Amino acid sequence: MKVLLVEDNERVTQFVVKGLQEAGHTADHAPNGRDGMFLAASEPYDVIIMDRMLPGEIDGLAIIEALRKSGKRTPILILSALSEVDERIRGLRAGGDDYLTKPFAFGELLARIDALTRRAQGENAQTRLEVADLRVDLLSRKVTRGSRSVTLQPREFKLLEYLMRHADQVVTRTMLLENVWDYHFDPQTNVVDVHISKLRQKIDADFERPLLRTVRNAGYTLTSHD
Amino acid sequence: MKIARSSALTLAVAYISLGLAALALFAAPLWYAWRVTIQDGRSEILQSDALRLTEVFRREGAPGLVSYINARVGMQIAGERLLLLADEALAPLAGNLAAWPPSVPPNPGTYTVKLELGGHMSDVALVHAALPGGYHLLVGRDTARYAPLEQRFWYALAGAVAILSVLGAFGGILIRRALLARIDGIRRTVSAIIQGDLSHRLPTHDSGDELNTLSRTINGMLEQIEQLIHGVRNVSNSIAHDLRTPLAELRSRLEELALTKPTTEQTFAEIDAAVADVDGVIRIFNALLRLAEIDSGTRRSGFVPVDLSAVAAAAVEFYQPAAELRGSSLMLATSGPAPIRGDPVLLAQALGNLIDNALKYTPEDGAIVVEVRTGAYDSSVEIIVADSGPGIPAEHRPKAVERFYRGDVSRGTPGVGLGLSLVDAVARLHGSELRLEDNHPGLRARIVLTQDRPQITRIARATSEQGGFQHEPVYP
Repeated sequence: MKVLLVEDNERVTQFVVKGLQEAGHTADHAPNGRDGMFLAASEPYDVIIMDRMLPGEIDGLAIIEALRKSGKRTPILILSALSEVDERIRGLRAGGDDYLTKPFAFGELLARIDALTRRAQGENAQTRLEVADLRVDLLSRKVTRGSRSVTLQPREFKLLEYLMRHADQVVTRTMLLENVWDYHFDPQTNVVDVHISKLRQKIDADFERPLLRTVRNAGYTLTSHD
Repeated sequence: MKIARSSALTLAVAYISLGLAALALFAAPLWYAWRVTIQDGRSEILQSDALRLTEVFRREGAPGLVSYINARVGMQIAGERLLLLADEALAPLAGNLAAWPPSVPPNPGTYTVKLELGGHMSDVALVHAALPGGYHLLVGRDTARYAPLEQRFWYALAGAVAILSVLGAFGGILIRRALLARIDGIRRTVSAIIQGDLSHRLPTHDSGDELNTLSRTINGMLEQIEQLIHGVRNVSNSIAHDLRTPLAELRSRLEELALTKPTTEQTFAEIDAAVADVDGVIRIFNALLRLAEIDSGTRRSGFVPVDLSAVAAAAVEFYQPAAELRGSSLMLATSGPAPIRGDPVLLAQALGNLIDNALKYTPEDGAIVVEVRTGAYDSSVEIIVADSGPGIPAEHRPKAVERFYRGDVSRGTPGVGLGLSLVDAVARLHGSELRLEDNHPGLRARIVLTQDRPQITRIARATSEQGGFQHEPVYP
C-alpha cells in the first residue's frame, strides 16, 4: 500500500514512516503544504495522512478541499492536535474520511488507515461475510460457526459485523466505540472488553481455534491466520 | 470627563435651540397675521369713514361737511381720529389738524406717515380722499394706540424665550447630572474590572430604561466572562496539580530504567508501563479539554432534537455486560419517548459517566436504576441515575462536581475525578444542573431539563390545574 504523509514535525514523521514501512507499506513524505499538495495531486496513493497545521500558506484542510474539488477520491486521514468536536466536524466536512487527534498510538493510526483503504475498495455490497468457518448472513442476520448456529443480540451482531468487515486487521477500542455504538468519548471502564469477551463466549468458546484475538496495546482482530 | 461634559452641554444647547426654533415658527405666522389683520382692518375703517364724509360732502356741500367735521371733532376723544378738510391750496378748512401735513402727498391714497401730535412724533395711518371741487379730505388714526398691545406681544415672546432657555439649561444640567452619575458609575466599575477584579457588577435598579437594560446586559456578559475565566483558572490549576503526580511517576520510571539498565525483557515491560502512564496523562488532558470546550458554550450550536429515552436505553445496553460482570443489576425505566433539543454525543457521555460512576461505587449485587421521566404537563425531562452504593455525604455533595474531587470511598478505584464535573458541565450547557441526592442508601444523580420557553409551559400548567383538563403546551 502506498501512503502519503503530509506532516511538518520531524519526530512524528520519522515515527510514522518507520512504522508504516515495518507494516509493509511504502510511505512518501511531504514536510509542507505546497509539496503535499503537489504529491497528492500528481501521484496515485492508496491513502493520505494529512496534518492540519502546516508551514507555508497552504494548510491541511485547504489541500483536502482542493483535492476533493478536483475529483480525487483518495481516502484521507486527518492527523491533528486540534481535538475539539467542532474541529473534527470541520475536518470531515472539508472532505477528510477520518480524524485522529495527536497524541496518538501508532496501532490506532495503522488500524484506521487499514479500515479506510478497505472501505475505499467498496465491500458494502456484500451480503455474506466469512472468516474461516464463521459465517454471517447480513440479510437474514444469521450467524453460524461451523455447523452450529449462533444467537446474537442486535448490538453483538453489529459488533461482529464490524469485526468481520475488518477481518485480519487490527481494530482499536476507539474504532469500535465510534462505529458500533456511535460513542465519541472514552468510557472510563473497560466496557468494550466486556462486550468482546461476551461475543468471544458465543463464537469461540467451544472451538479449538479462536478467531477473535486480543492484540496487545492496540485492540482486537478477527482472523483465521496465526 | 471632557467628552461627557461637552455631550451634556451640546444636549442642553440643542434642546434650547430646538425650543426656540419651534417658538419662532409658532410666533412668526401669528405676528404676520396680526400685522396684516390690524393694518387691513385699520385702513378699511378709515376708508369707510372717508366714504361717509364724502357722502356728507355730496349731500350738503363743503359748508355741511365743515360743520359735520367740527361737530365730530368736538365730540371726539382727543387723538382718536384725525380729520382734516382742505381746499385746493391745501389750506385747512376744518378738522383737528392745524395744517396740512407736509409729509402727505397731494394725490389720494392710503399712507402711513410720521406726524407730530400732542408734542411727540407718532406713526399715523392716513386716507387721503379727493373731493369734488378740488377739496382734499384726510382721515387718519394714531397707531400709537396699538403700541402697548404690540409691546405686550413682544414681552410675552421674550418671556417665553427666557422660560424656555432657563428650563432647557436647567433640564440639560439635570440630565447631565443624572446621566453622568450613572455613566461614571459604569466607568468606575469597568475600570475596576480592567484592574483585574471581575467580581464587580454595574449598579441596576428595577426600572426598565435603556441604561438599566444596558447595565443588565453588561452584567450578564461579565457573569459569563467571570465564569469562563474562573473555568480557565480552574483548569490550569487542576492541570498543574493533577498532572504532576503521573508525570513524576513517569519521570522516575524512565530515570530508573536508564540507571539500572535491566534485561531486555524487563526494559520492554517498563517501556510498556511508561506508555500506559503517558496514556493516563493524555486521558486527563482530553477530559480537561472536553470540559473546557463544553464550558465555553460553543457546543450549543450543535443542538439537535434528541430522544433522551433512546440515549438512556443505548447507554444501559452498553453498560449491561459490565454490570453483569460485577454482579450488579442495571435497570432502565422510561415512559415513552422524551424529546429534547441537545447534543446527543455529550448527553450520551454524561449518562455514560453517571452509570460508570454508579457501577464503580456500587458493591456487588447492588442495584442501579436509570430513569427518564417526562413532565406530565410541560416539556421537562428528568434523568435520574440512582445506585445503592455508599453515596456521598451531604456536606461533600457540592464539592463532588468540582474538578478532580475524589471522595474517601473512591480511593483505590480507577478514575481521574472529572466524571461528575463533566456531567455537570453538560447539564449546564443544556440549561440545567446536576443535583446529587440521597437514595437511602446510595447516590441519586438527577438532571432536570426544562427547555422550550418556560413561561408558556408555566401558563399551560396553571390552566390545566385550574380547569381540570389538560393542555398541551402550545408554541408559536
